[in-house]
Amino acid sequence: MKRDVIERVLWNLSMDRFSKMKFKEDPNKFLSRFVLDESDVEKILTFDVKALQEMGVNPMLTMGYWIEMSPDRSMHTYNQKLGSTGQYSASLKG
Amino acid sequence: MATIVSGLLVPHDPVMFVAPDAPAKEIADKAWAAFDTCAERLAEQDVDTVIIVGNDHYMLFGTTCLPQFCIATGDVDGPLDQLPGLKRQPVPNHEALATHIAAHGHANGFDWAVARSFSTDHSFSIPFQKIVQRAAEIRGKPIQAIPVYLASAVDPFLTMQRAQQLGQQMAAAVEAFDGDERVAVIGSGGISHWVGTKESGRVNETFDHMVLDHCCSLNINAIMALSDEHILEHGGNGAMELRNFVCAMAAVNADSTSLIEYQPVPEWVTGLGFIELKKH
Repeated sequence: MKRDVIERVLWNLSMDRFSKMKFKEDPNKFLSRFVLDESDVEKILTFDVKALQEMGVNPMLTMGYWIEMSPDRSMHTYNQKLGSTGQYSASLKG
Repeated sequence: MATIVSGLLVPHDPVMFVAPDAPAKEIADKAWAAFDTCAERLAEQDVDTVIIVGNDHYMLFGTTCLPQFCIATGDVDGPLDQLPGLKRQPVPNHEALATHIAAHGHANGFDWAVARSFSTDHSFSIPFQKIVQRAAEIRGKPIQAIPVYLASAVDPFLTMQRAQQLGQQMAAAVEAFDGDERVAVIGSGGISHWVGTKESGRVNETFDHMVLDHCCSLNINAIMALSDEHILEHGGNGAMELRNFVCAMAAVNADSTSLIEYQPVPEWVTGLGFIELKKH
């Protein structure tokens, strides 16, 4: 199931130091380890958390991978990407 | 025979630690004071062991194995997700009682997943460090703590019915334990909060008061009757943690309750409810 492999990728990018390092070195090469189609890869590379959640991915994982790997790690930007105007978030890192 | 003598239902809101000054000081002070009150109530009961029923937030258990319910029977530390004021440290687990609860379950139709070593997350460590450790200081004697983790945040979710049954099994196991421990059970979680979704920061006071009313009137059936769809819509994905409340309430089988505090705090993205479960 597509959602499952994406959750595997995002969990690794949230929690696993080696995976984070490899993703930073070469994101496409890292993602090639997984059975993902071009659309999935694009969503992950562009941090399209809204589209990922619409696929059924657990929001705790989209938030975790955003905080760990996104360019600015800003929860304000994360909320904007979700289409939210809210100013508060449940981020563990402020 | 060990005995469950009391319980608590409390939040485990990490944003309180990350952004302590976000809400008005008066509101923040009441929330922090509620943890102290909980500690005092625990100390008054002279408990020596606390079972904390929490849940993973898709950190501890990866996609390779998602247990429905798990008990730590061995070495414990935490939290893995350290926060300001919540540092990682060893946890004095009551290994004998935890092992007994698992074995009792295995003999009675409850296939506990067992962690022989375990690092907790904030759902255990916030009530442990802010309530249990404080109660131990007040009491002047150590209090051991057992982590129990339910599938309350990552699907497939534990059913409400199974959460209740598990609490009842924990109570039966404690009663069958060859010891004189005085045990408390803490249900850690809730109430309304949305984690990582576009609704994050919404607090539904109507939903929270409904839950508080059901908890305070010990109407566990009313909480169990809430469908997952209803909880997700009105309480958010974080309110799926009501399973932790149900499990703790079933374990304690309280005679009465006391509402210690309720604060709806959008700045901390959560409706914070604190309830004492009393046994006469």
